[in-house]
Amino acid sequence: MDPMTFSIIRHRLFRIIDEAVITLKHVSGSAITNEGHDLMVSLYGADGSLLMGGVGFLHHLTSAAEACKAIIRRFEGRIREGDVFLLNDPYTAALHTSDIYLVAPIHFDGKLVAWSACFVHVYDIGAMNPGGFSPQSTDIYTEGFSSPGIKIVDQGEMVQDVVDTMLNMVRSPEMVMLDLRSMIACNNVARERTQALIAKYGPETVEAAGAELIRQSQDLFRARLQELPDGSWQSRQYLDVEGETATVRLTMTKKGDRLIFDFSGSSPQSRHAINCTRWAALGGLFAPLFPLLCYDITWNEGVIRLVEMIAPDGTIVNCTRPAPVSVATVGAIQSVNNAACATIGKMLAASDKYRGQATAVWHANHFAIFKFGRNQKGSQSIGILTETFAGAGGARSFGDGVEIGGEVPNPISRMANVETVESVFPIRYLFRKRKQDSGGPGRWRGGTGGELAIVPHKAPDGGLHYVISGKGARHPMSDGLAGGYPGAPNSYRWARKDQPRNGDDDARLPGGAEPVSWGVFPLMGEDALYVRWNGGGGFGDPLEREAERVERDVTEHLVSSEAARDVYGVVLSNDGALDAVATEALRREMKRERIGREAAR
Amino acid sequence: MKDIRTWSPTLVSVPGAGGGYRSIACRACETPFCRTDAVWKEHAVLDEKPLTQTGAAFAGAGREVLLRRFFCPSCGTTLDTEVALPGESFLIDRIVE
Repeated sequence: MDPMTFSIIRHRLFRIIDEAVITLKHVSGSAITNEGHDLMVSLYGADGSLLMGGVGFLHHLTSAAEACKAIIRRFEGRIREGDVFLLNDPYTAALHTSDIYLVAPIHFDGKLVAWSACFVHVYDIGAMNPGGFSPQSTDIYTEGFSSPGIKIVDQGEMVQDVVDTMLNMVRSPEMVMLDLRSMIACNNVARERTQALIAKYGPETVEAAGAELIRQSQDLFRARLQELPDGSWQSRQYLDVEGETATVRLTMTKKGDRLIFDFSGSSPQSRHAINCTRWAALGGLFAPLFPLLCYDITWNEGVIRLVEMIAPDGTIVNCTRPAPVSVATVGAIQSVNNAACATIGKMLAASDKYRGQATAVWHANHFAIFKFGRNQKGSQSIGILTETFAGAGGARSFGDGVEIGGEVPNPISRMANVETVESVFPIRYLFRKRKQDSGGPGRWRGGTGGELAIVPHKAPDGGLHYVISGKGARHPMSDGLAGGYPGAPNSYRWARKDQPRNGDDDARLPGGAEPVSWGVFPLMGEDALYVRWNGGGGFGDPLEREAERVERDVTEHLVSSEAARDVYGVVLSNDGALDAVATEALRREMKRERIGREAAR
Repeated sequence: MKDIRTWSPTLVSVPGAGGGYRSIACRACETPFCRTDAVWKEHAVLDEKPLTQTGAAFAGAGREVLLRRFFCPSCGTTLDTEVALPGESFLIDRIVE
């Protein structure tokens, strides 16, 4: 194929997704979509294979491919131009019920030529807890509306009885309908622009370009794998929920042009909704793989062909029905993200050519906190604290992680402005800021996470309630790399005005605080909810960090003077100035103490 | 010229002293401390302590959660870290040479 034509079509396909994402955001009325960017749009071939992966949460790229294939199987012979299908069953393809896929066939001259697929986390899905994350659910049956495939638009006409049936099962149906309309609009734009592209270049040319695109990705990824060292790398992730700890274990083996992710040894599926299904685990490992290994390769089926996953049945990474999965995206899926990020980081760091691409684990622990209740305008509101998308960058082999710098699995994640949240919820922020010492120490420091506190404000009912799926307060999850420390773990605390303080309580909060992590809690009166989210992992030995950088970190309140001394071996005077002589002596002494210990065996 | 190969940012492999095998060495000081077919972490210096003792930011972590630091026996450089529960096996990373 003429390389210029190929490049134009490739670029145009990507821009079609770009425009569809913009459409999705503009039509949606949910902060989780248009502020947090908890979304995804991609294009798929006529057989449902991933053709051009888009942005947003990348664990959906492969799962939505499976959704397209499931629709093809279920509706064979009944797929017509202008149809739109809904699928959100996690045991068929979706990640959890509240992440709804709308997939739409793209026809040209009456022939099915491609699919567009998108998702948003809908306002509500009718699970036992509002907002979709349902920590109190003990099985899939209490996690809301769930469909393995249903047609909601038939040749351009809304199938109203079907849509109404679904809306009848959810809270705030008008907002869920807006979510559905945003996805229909998104798919309409993707379809129209793809048809225009085919009309301009011809169906044979565009089909040939698609095939070439997949072949090119496969060839480029194969070449990259062959440049990387053969070997195996391990990581593990602990998830604590209600006093129980589950473990995701991963051995990643790279041999020649093959990459195998083996999750054998991971914990049995949990009674808590942190489990994920097989398709979700597969998506979870590709979410970091695409940006870390294929940053210059089109994300499509050509990459997927070179990767194998082993995930034993009945485990936390491949649970069996009816295990609950509503918290999967911030539970086992994110741990799969983190474990894959860690092993890929180690593999890259073991390559002289690719060490510059290696990274410690970024923001590894989402918290899903959904506020709900009557707001200052008298209407019911449900919405996530979008700070969970703010993230923290992992340290790289050449530099610090970015403070509150996002996350690997979603290249466009972000948080809403404080004012945006305060305008639609009856709350006020006491503070929202970078959290000192949260970035994993290292030669290169992990980016800091953040902290916030909110209180009720102008609430007609005296406050509101929130659903929290806050695992991960006991274990740090943002692993360091090459001797770097992990980022500090999350913390969730309910500060009560009428509770006496003890010595450890935060003076910025209205009273004594107790931990909260899992379930539904009130935020009433003059109480406050405090949340701290994790920093990124560090890279390299903290004693190797340039002392001047530590001095600057302390000046900017990113690192405490205590951590500077105890972890980095940097001595500062009372006015914060670096004492180079004392620092050199302290570091020499700290290294001497290390050597004096016994070997591990 | 010495045949030094990368294992990680902190480790390299070098020809074994007796020939016929290769050894793991600290990248910083190039001192070998075990053969490449061994579990190198078993031959490094291990510092294992509760994560809560690492600093105030980790004060809320579980008391049973450990931070393992593996040091070069010769120069004391940190070779790797891992978070573990008591009794957990070492994470094993290997290069196939």
